Amino acid sequence: MKKFLVVLSLLVVILSFAAKVELVFWTHEDPNRTPLEEGYIKEFQKMYPNVEIKRVTYPSDKIKEVLLTAFAARKGPDIFNIEIQDEYPYIVNGRVAPVDLSVLGLKTYNDLKNQYLEGSLDAVTYKGKIYGLPLELTNWCIFINKKYFREVGLDPEKDYPKTWEDMVRISEKLVIRDGQIIKRRGFDFRYPYYLTFFVPMVEQLGGALFSADGKTAIINDNAWIRVLDFMKQWGPNGKNLGSPTYTAARKEFNKDNNTVAMCESGLYQIDRIRTENPAFYNSNEWMVVPWPVFKNAVRDVKCNYYGHYYMVNAESSKEKQQWAWRFINFMLSHPQDYLVKVGLIQPRKDLIESDVFKNYPYSDVFLEDMKKAHIVPLHPQGPQIEQLIREAVESVMLTNTSSRDALNTLKRKVNDLLKEEQ
Amino acid sequence: MERKKAIWGFVFTIPAIVFFLIFDFYPVANAFWMSFFKKDLLSLNPPKFIGFKNYTYLFTSEAFWNSVKATAIFTFGTFVPMVLVSLALAALIITRKRFQKFLQMAYYSPAVLSSVVAAMIWLLMFDPRGLANQFLNYFFNTYGVDYHWLSNENMLRLATIIVYFWKYVGYFTVIFISGMASIPKSIHEAAIVDGASGWQDFRHITLPLLKPTTLLVSVMSMIQCLKTFSTQYLFVQGGAPRGPIDVITLNIYNTAIRDHQIGRASAMSVILFFVIMFFTYLQFRVSRSEEVSY
Repeated sequence: MKKFLVVLSLLVVILSFAAKVELVFWTHEDPNRTPLEEGYIKEFQKMYPNVEIKRVTYPSDKIKEVLLTAFAARKGPDIFNIEIQDEYPYIVNGRVAPVDLSVLGLKTYNDLKNQYLEGSLDAVTYKGKIYGLPLELTNWCIFINKKYFREVGLDPEKDYPKTWEDMVRISEKLVIRDGQIIKRRGFDFRYPYYLTFFVPMVEQLGGALFSADGKTAIINDNAWIRVLDFMKQWGPNGKNLGSPTYTAARKEFNKDNNTVAMCESGLYQIDRIRTENPAFYNSNEWMVVPWPVFKNAVRDVKCNYYGHYYMVNAESSKEKQQWAWRFINFMLSHPQDYLVKVGLIQPRKDLIESDVFKNYPYSDVFLEDMKKAHIVPLHPQGPQIEQLIREAVESVMLTNTSSRDALNTLKRKVNDLLKEEQ
Repeated sequence: MERKKAIWGFVFTIPAIVFFLIFDFYPVANAFWMSFFKKDLLSLNPPKFIGFKNYTYLFTSEAFWNSVKATAIFTFGTFVPMVLVSLALAALIITRKRFQKFLQMAYYSPAVLSSVVAAMIWLLMFDPRGLANQFLNYFFNTYGVDYHWLSNENMLRLATIIVYFWKYVGYFTVIFISGMASIPKSIHEAAIVDGASGWQDFRHITLPLLKPTTLLVSVMSMIQCLKTFSTQYLFVQGGAPRGPIDVITLNIYNTAIRDHQIGRASAMSVILFFVIMFFTYLQFRVSRSEEVSY
């Protein structure tokens, strides 16, 4: 009898191990998010002891490459998230599975859409199915160090930049130079992200990246040239207010070390200030204001927002896919924690309507701007197009190339790229 | 008996051959094969055979020729001074009676550093507020001039050359030193007895007998330069414009990883492979006529 019981218990142990579902979950490094999600994993594993989740983090600039090579070798993780611009080709190429509504206890995709802010699932809707759930939607507003404003005789509450023309004027007051070298920038852009900040500036002046049918790119030369001229004036060969070769303004902003007075960033920056520089966070010397528009803007459009969506590998087994969606749904059912502990906005209606969101510092500023913004342009050639815009902007900012010449080159190259794909 | 030894000798090389076949030969052969196909890295569709279209595309591509230019400027701008300076440093160090080991270690130490770390350190120095501008301002007795290390086309190229030169000059110096040390002392002594000066000894004894080492160093350094990647990659990540330093390897990386065009990236790799083969062959041909024997 004893022998029988031992064998039976061994069998139970072996079977329980054999039946364990292991989910591999890749995400980008975010020191504030890690403890939160590690906690959810523990909770979930407690609820479902047959599931084991391995959370692996990579630096944000590395995860794209690692994920791509893993998927190319058909060894991708079960769950992942990267920026939506980079996730889009995974959807188009059928590499991710649609959301399993039955696991979420929903009947139709409309039921799912109703849980989120209008349009926030459009980026992951493809051929009538939804392929991801948002971890965060991020738009940028302007962070201001009030101390430096007062130092040059400005009242930050009243004199903050409302237009891009204001931004130039105020930056000229705030900038401190040692000869040609900038010691303190008034403001500076987030340079590699041209689809996020540069394209909406063009749109404010009536331009567009793509035509309505999507077959032609770079619409309304005049708008593009005006923004290129603006960047030329901003750069070292113009008024010398900033340049892509300086350290990222948002990183220096947190240090409060007299190197930058304003930067553009998302709501998550608030949490990063709190973590990196608690003294500055508690000083009440910073504030957030809306993203500017041009004085003669024809469209009141704000900085594009982008998102990270949790997705599930289409090549994982059906069972794993279901567990993956169940786990994602479990994590995302804590939107208030993500906001309070990490500073991430999940565009769920229950969060936006909650007091937690309403009482979060500057959430209203971000939300109001987001209402006037749209998602970053999604296109299979998006990263190449962004690189070509980068080349155009940097050629006018850093060399003597005229805006017209830079635009002609950009237009030719982007349209060649589109033709090549057609 | 000899035959048995030969068989055992071959048996012992099998692990190395297998390793080479799997990790070197197969990827190279696969790149050759892939270069004839159109394949999106993410697509589950089978690759589409397109013959030489990837090659014809590249030979008419403005971006590819820009990469060829960037690679050529970087390679010749780096490897020629590197060979000359490492030779001069080796000659200088080997004649020192004291601190020889220390100097070798000091020059060699940057080679131990990871390329990524080296590029990060230099990025900080080339920041407009960094040491590079401060040094030039001090040297030229100017005030607050921004020399645009990371934005001006030529300065940017120079910046990448400096990083690479700094990192590898010590490595090649050590190789030259070992080459010089292998020249029998009796030959130098005979020359001195015959009344040769130090320079004459170096010019007519050391240099000719150092030919195999010089060939080795020049081939190695040239191949290293043609394969340069991490410095340019990190500089572009750090905000520098890509055009002037878009070397072929960086273009391959972007074509494969950013554009997902693995066939086209493979074609570029094949072209780079032949370029390296050609220059290596050329250097061997040029040096063959003057083989050295003591």
